[in-house]
Amino acid sequence: MEKKAYTVSAINKYVKNMFLNDGFLSHVYVKGEVSNCKYHTSGHLYFTLKDNEGAISCIMYRSSVQNQKLQLENGMKIQVSGRIDVYERDGKYQLYATSFEQEGLGSLYEKYAKLKEQYEEMGLFDPSFKRPIPKMCDKIGIVTASSGAAIHDIMSVSMRRNPYVQLILYPAKVQGQGASLSIAEGIRTLDAMGLDVIIVGRGGGSMEDLWAFNEETVVEAIFKSHTPIISAVGHEKDFTLSDFVADLRAATPSAAAELAVFDISLTLRQIDKYKNELDLRFASQLRNKKAKLDSYLKALKHLDPSLRVTSMRNRLEQKALYLDQTFFRLMDQKKNKLKYYALKLDGASPLKRLKSGFLYAENQDGKHIVSVNDIKVGDQIQGYLIDGLITSRVESITKNKG
Amino acid sequence: MAKTETLEDSFKKLDEIVAGLENTELSMDAALKLYKEGIKLVESCNSKIDKVEKEIIVLNGGKVEASNEDIF
Repeated sequence: MEKKAYTVSAINKYVKNMFLNDGFLSHVYVKGEVSNCKYHTSGHLYFTLKDNEGAISCIMYRSSVQNQKLQLENGMKIQVSGRIDVYERDGKYQLYATSFEQEGLGSLYEKYAKLKEQYEEMGLFDPSFKRPIPKMCDKIGIVTASSGAAIHDIMSVSMRRNPYVQLILYPAKVQGQGASLSIAEGIRTLDAMGLDVIIVGRGGGSMEDLWAFNEETVVEAIFKSHTPIISAVGHEKDFTLSDFVADLRAATPSAAAELAVFDISLTLRQIDKYKNELDLRFASQLRNKKAKLDSYLKALKHLDPSLRVTSMRNRLEQKALYLDQTFFRLMDQKKNKLKYYALKLDGASPLKRLKSGFLYAENQDGKHIVSVNDIKVGDQIQGYLIDGLITSRVESITKNKG
Repeated sequence: MAKTETLEDSFKKLDEIVAGLENTELSMDAALKLYKEGIKLVESCNSKIDKVEKEIIVLNGGKVEASNEDIF
């Protein structure tokens, strides 16, 4: 008897088709506990959902993984939304998840959203109520558990930035029964101490762990506090209602300490900088004034009367020199002229004439005789020769004709 | 609290003084006055910073006691 045999892939295709045609399986909610959870490097998420009696493989594609707020961990009880389909290669059906949420927490999220809306309407989150955090706090209150990462982180950051700041811890119960009352009491106690700022927070945890920071007593205590409050609950991604009502939200307790504790070394350096700036500026003022003074001095020097006397004296000396020169030049001229006349005179000298044998005649009255009309016969004549004197008498006068 | 406020105030004032000293029209007297005031502020800032290391104070049922050991 011959039976028709189908190929594996044909059978798988057939089965897959059955799943596809089933409207119920195309969108189901499945709840169970997570195991074999693996976030693959491709971005896809693989896990197994199980309960006491069975298990189902689950896959969530990267595009959906990116939209999930919750990070899956083994042991988590979750509710998954998706479709059941066949993976032909392995002949295996699995749950293709599009979203999931922590089971039982759905109601907690709802409660959170409702409270948030309620507080928002009451105006508790209004930015106008936010007080600035002082830049230089001396006394910092902390409401958190006395054991745990939060206080440890805050202390180490504070010690590094500024060991001179006074930290005051109110050890509070931060999760479980009575936590919100303890936190609220801590805020009120520290607020009454007149500190500069209060940090309220705790380290990371599940939404249930952080729940106290959503409760009205805590939110109200933060809102009513006169001291500025920094909230520091959980990690970066965790948000609680305390974060919205606080004056400042820090992503983590360490971040809160960075915000609250000012860096003393920066402050000291700033003071030094001021000192240097003052010195520099003042020195430049001095230089400025000195330069101005110098320019005034220079200007004044030009107006100095002694300078004018010197200048007058110089001018006088110049004139005197000029006078001298002019005088001597004139003298030289005269001397030359004199010489010239002397030479000329020398030629006309009577002595020279006498030397060459001329006679100089005078009448009785001592007058020079130049014409025959000056004398008469019988007059006595004095005659001068070069080497002596003769006295003679006129015997006759003959006048030249013509 | 008032103490820290004045430290911040001092910084603000110092900013003003330093800016004031940049004015070249300032008289010598005024410049000297500003400089002296600035130096005084710098000194007061330095003295304002309390340089005593503080241990954390843990409030315990209303009683105040200094302690580091309880925490770790």
